[in-house]
Amino acid sequence: MTGQAFFVLTALADAPRHGYGIVREVAELSHGRVKLKIGSLYGVLDRLAAEELIEPDREEAHDGRLRRYYRLTRDGRRALAEEADLRASTARVVRSRLGLSGAEAAG
Amino acid sequence: MSGGLDLEQRYRRVLRLLPGYYRLVWEQDMVAAFLESSLTGDPDEDDWIVEFSKPPWQEVASVAALAVRLYLGGTGAPRRYFAWGQAVRRAVLAVTLLQAVRGLEVLLLTAWSRHVFSWLPVPPARLAAGTPAGIVPPIVWWLVAYAWIVSFVALALGRYYRTAQVIAALAITPDLVWLLQGDFTRAFQGPSLGPWAFWVLLNFVPVLAMTAFHRDTPPAARWTWLLALVAIYLLVAVPLTALQTSGNSAWVPDAAGLYCVLAALACLAHVPRAWSRQAADSGVWSLTLTLLAAAAGAYRALSLTDYLHDPHQVQVSLAELLILILAVAPIVPDATRAQAATPAPARPRSGYPR
Repeated sequence: MTGQAFFVLTALADAPRHGYGIVREVAELSHGRVKLKIGSLYGVLDRLAAEELIEPDREEAHDGRLRRYYRLTRDGRRALAEEADLRASTARVVRSRLGLSGAEAAG
Repeated sequence: MSGGLDLEQRYRRVLRLLPGYYRLVWEQDMVAAFLESSLTGDPDEDDWIVEFSKPPWQEVASVAALAVRLYLGGTGAPRRYFAWGQAVRRAVLAVTLLQAVRGLEVLLLTAWSRHVFSWLPVPPARLAAGTPAGIVPPIVWWLVAYAWIVSFVALALGRYYRTAQVIAALAITPDLVWLLQGDFTRAFQGPSLGPWAFWVLLNFVPVLAMTAFHRDTPPAARWTWLLALVAIYLLVAVPLTALQTSGNSAWVPDAAGLYCVLAALACLAHVPRAWSRQAADSGVWSLTLTLLAAAAGAYRALSLTDYLHDPHQVQVSLAELLILILAVAPIVPDATRAQAATPAPARPRSGYPR
């Protein structure tokens, strides 16, 4: 799973979001380090939808435009959980090899 | 808001880079997300933004990158785009293969001249793997030759696509430096387009086209391609070397002629398959060979300017061009059908039990 896909799935983990909502959430999750461009975002959304990891949730009117919301599918939740476990275990190994405790690594 | 739709219209113009089927599904959504990301909530500032600002180049670049991935499609793409994607990828592999054969030739000639093959006689002086004169040091030319082998193997293995592209981009740089130096110092006499045609058609364009290798790319038939490296070396490079060694270099065509002959032979070998239409993949190969023949033909035509002083060479070059056209003509109809007849493999689903 690419970093962008991981962030997009994470952005959808707690609630359905529309395109710009995902961009904002990803920027927040990554502390501003990942700023998704719209072309990149929809490349990722298209791929995740084709792999049935996300699906449309609903459409809402906003300022005269339709916002389409997306949500995780059951498979999307499982894939995200597995990826999170993998990344967490990798992070633990990195901390251990660097001789860092959790607090030091966070600080 | 006099120009209320201006930014939207400009962005929609950018989105025209994307294939129609994709825009049908995603365009409205992309426009909404883009406008929301561009506006600030301050009515005055937003009026100005909507009326005068343009989509930032990073946004345009992200749409262009998406367009390349979609037009040169992989698994899950519509038939037409999958066919083009596969044809471009195979054409790139074929060109990289030929460059790798040259690299292998340099590698083995160097080894031979350094007596690595002790059972062989000392190689003739005319076979010494020389390097072009200029500001590029010889060691760089050796590295370039080997870089093509690495790039080809990376592509054939179906991994490390971006690494292969970066290595190939570095490998074509010394040639560019050499060409620019030649132009500035007027080392090329007369209207010589050949070296530039070679660089653009067989170096720059293939490196650019390596973008067609992406995450959705089905893996190439790796062993077939790797064996092809050895086979082409043995069937093409070794006989050419033997001709040069035996003093029969008059029979050896120049680079453009060699590419025309190779492309023509490949087309002729493919004709029975293209006409039988039994193999599902035949159309994509026809499209691949048509692309390669177009590149070889363009190179031959442009390099004619190298021989304006030599009517015999012009005649030989025109004959090579004619042979190529006659060889590619029978497979062009199959190539045009390929776009409608090649189903893409389905994109893998998430794989979780339902």
